Amino acid sequence: MSADPIIRLEKVAKSYGGINALEEADFELFPGEIHALAGENGAGKSTLCKLIAGVIAPTAGAVWIDGRQVTLSAPKDASRLGISMVYQETSLVPQLTVAQNMVLGRERMFNSVRKVRNAARQVLQRLNFKVDPSQLAGSLSTAKRQMVEIARAVLNEARVIILDEPTAALTPEETDHLFDLMKSLQRSGVAMIFISHALEEALNHADRISVLRNGRLTVTGPARDFDRNRLISSMIGSELKQDTSAAKAVRAVHSALPVLRVENIRMGSMVNNMSFSVFPGQVTGIAGLIGSGRSEVAKVIMGHTKRNFGGGRIWFEGREVRYNVPAQAIADGIAYVSEDRKFDGFFETMSIADNIGLGWLAKFGRRRRLAPLSRMRQISQDWEKRLSIRCTDVDQLVLHLSGGNQQKVVIAKSLAQEPKLVIFDEPTRGVDVGAIAEIRQIVRNFAESGAGVILISSYLPEILDLSDRILVAKSGTIVAEFARNEATAERILHAAIH
Amino acid sequence: MAEVVARAGVPGPRGRLLEMIVVGAAAALIIIFSVAVDGFATAGNLGVMLSNSASLVILSCGMAVVIISRGLDLSLIAAMIAGATTFSTLIAAGVPAPVALLVTIAVMIAIGLANAWLIAYVEIPALLATLASAMFITGLFRFAILRGEYLLLLPKSNPAVVFLSGELMPGVPTPVVLMLVTVAASWILMRYSTAGRTIQAMGDNFQAARLTGLPVRTTTIVVYVFAALTALLAGLVMSAASGTVDFRTVTNGTLLFDVILVVVLGGIPLRGGHGGIRNIVIGIALIAVLRNGMTLMNVTTQMQDVIKGLVLLTAIVADKYFNPRDAETDTIGDL
Repeated sequence: MSADPIIRLEKVAKSYGGINALEEADFELFPGEIHALAGENGAGKSTLCKLIAGVIAPTAGAVWIDGRQVTLSAPKDASRLGISMVYQETSLVPQLTVAQNMVLGRERMFNSVRKVRNAARQVLQRLNFKVDPSQLAGSLSTAKRQMVEIARAVLNEARVIILDEPTAALTPEETDHLFDLMKSLQRSGVAMIFISHALEEALNHADRISVLRNGRLTVTGPARDFDRNRLISSMIGSELKQDTSAAKAVRAVHSALPVLRVENIRMGSMVNNMSFSVFPGQVTGIAGLIGSGRSEVAKVIMGHTKRNFGGGRIWFEGREVRYNVPAQAIADGIAYVSEDRKFDGFFETMSIADNIGLGWLAKFGRRRRLAPLSRMRQISQDWEKRLSIRCTDVDQLVLHLSGGNQQKVVIAKSLAQEPKLVIFDEPTRGVDVGAIAEIRQIVRNFAESGAGVILISSYLPEILDLSDRILVAKSGTIVAEFARNEATAERILHAAIH
Repeated sequence: MAEVVARAGVPGPRGRLLEMIVVGAAAALIIIFSVAVDGFATAGNLGVMLSNSASLVILSCGMAVVIISRGLDLSLIAAMIAGATTFSTLIAAGVPAPVALLVTIAVMIAIGLANAWLIAYVEIPALLATLASAMFITGLFRFAILRGEYLLLLPKSNPAVVFLSGELMPGVPTPVVLMLVTVAASWILMRYSTAGRTIQAMGDNFQAARLTGLPVRTTTIVVYVFAALTALLAGLVMSAASGTVDFRTVTNGTLLFDVILVVVLGGIPLRGGHGGIRNIVIGIALIAVLRNGMTLMNVTTQMQDVIKGLVLLTAIVADKYFNPRDAETDTIGDL
């Protein structure tokens, strides 16, 4: 490893509207180095990569490339300096051929189809990729698309290649091939950064590893200094190492009958034979990485998305159910609190009273022709007090509330339907710190009132703090189940990754 | 976070600004026309203006309800002609008016159901579904009833036609009464009915409405059947007044554009969610005054189209300016 870093970040920070995605990160990348980034969901790994690739601009700090300070305001600035990024969601244009994609953005005024194809073929052959340059990018498999993206970076003479979860969609053979390729690029002096959730990949293939936690780059060191346990404990933080939940007993007893039972649910590529039960009076937490099929199974239960043909069965209160639209699930007493309240949670042009009132009204389906406006208002005021929503009055627009209070309105909209089972999907995401504790208390209280609760959260402390039973989802399947007193962050993370 | 959210495109006081501008523009036009155009500021002209606007207002009420639900009904004028054709053919054949009306209403409900089924169940975008149904309806009725002609003459002496084109009481034309009834009915639908609240919610955030368990499919049926019924009423008023059903109203398209013009000008954005029947009243005030004043000034219809085009463009630019979509709020969740 040569002495001068090709990229150096100095106290780089990025915040979105007051929320810090990355705080004062110092980072160095040397030529010919394979550098792994590890961390939980939302720890800031993608943010760090996007800063280097020029996709987003830092709010503070300095970026040095080849010893010169630079401002990367667009991906093309980074690409001119030889930095290429291979995205998780591949960024190829499906309607263009492989060769056209590889020269995309670098075409000359007049392009010879043959010359472009030959140049592409040369690179593909040199990298030993079996991809036909005249094929349409849209017809390629995920693995091959990724290869094309890497080939594009090589064709563009990239000196730094950033790979965002390159192995997430690959088979073991494809993964081996990818790492072989990375090794050979490394020998020609290319530096690589890769994000991976599979810790073994980082330990076995990286030269150095950096760990991020809650937007902070906590530790960087040679891969040989790490082992599994050290990596996991630096990912989740030492404060969680002692087992906080061991002392607490399971609060609610298992009722004999589950309120909800799902069996072998399958939906597309996201949900793969998911089976579990939910008991009344308990919080059933579902932990897992993003993309493990948790929200998707919730939406299948609700009738929001359709499962595969013959893709499993669902029993609610002992009765087999199959909902075509969420309205049927709501009428039976199942409610879903969305993970993205702005996208499908609340009505932004409407007041608090209308939002909560509409939730209450929805329970009656078509039976009420006239909307009882004063009753809707009264119910909203009642919920405003019960969940202590901070607002001037219930006629205030939901859009004008803080994130935490918006979330409370979305929760109230569902609880006003007097459901017997509520699915809370990431209930504290994007919520101000003060409201997080309140929302967790709402979730707990609701379960203690005897109803069933499913809590989907990617934040382990939340799962550990609230759940009576913890299920771990991975690749669309439930892979582990822990009682409250046997769950630890390490055990959950271990199950979620393997 | 709170500040960022609060800065986003808020349909608060700034959204109202567009309404006020349109009201101001209408008021300014009234003053200018009153001074500059002879015979504008007379009671007789006011009556003419109201009668001439009746069918446009009725159609706009239907279209407004559709657009607030984040839909679009391009088959509105075709449905209007279909309703008028069915009704006039029946009464010309000697069917008593009440029976003819019931049959026609059934036809209109069928048209509304077909549109709603395509949109809510087959899940075709409203624009394409209603474009296709508009072409289908026009073609079918011209072929089946008019045998390729484009003009159908009404029996002028028929009591139903006399009633629709006449006065309910001395000085109170029936079209104006029907117009007011439609406005009142639309207002009650949007303000007090469960369907109206659901329509507003669907236009605001369709996914949220669905996940909240609101009956979005049933409500879509309500929306398009309501639109088809307003189309029928407008068709009866219009054809009774002119004594003909003219299929060129569909094929040359300007009436459809006028309807959308009224809705957008009134301050109802095409993305739905915002606005109510009040906005229709505002939009129609400007268009009716503009149309009437220009006709009195002998401005050609071609020139009137040019001016209406410019007015629509100005309204859309103003809407974009006063109701901006905040790019930051779209990306805020993307940490």
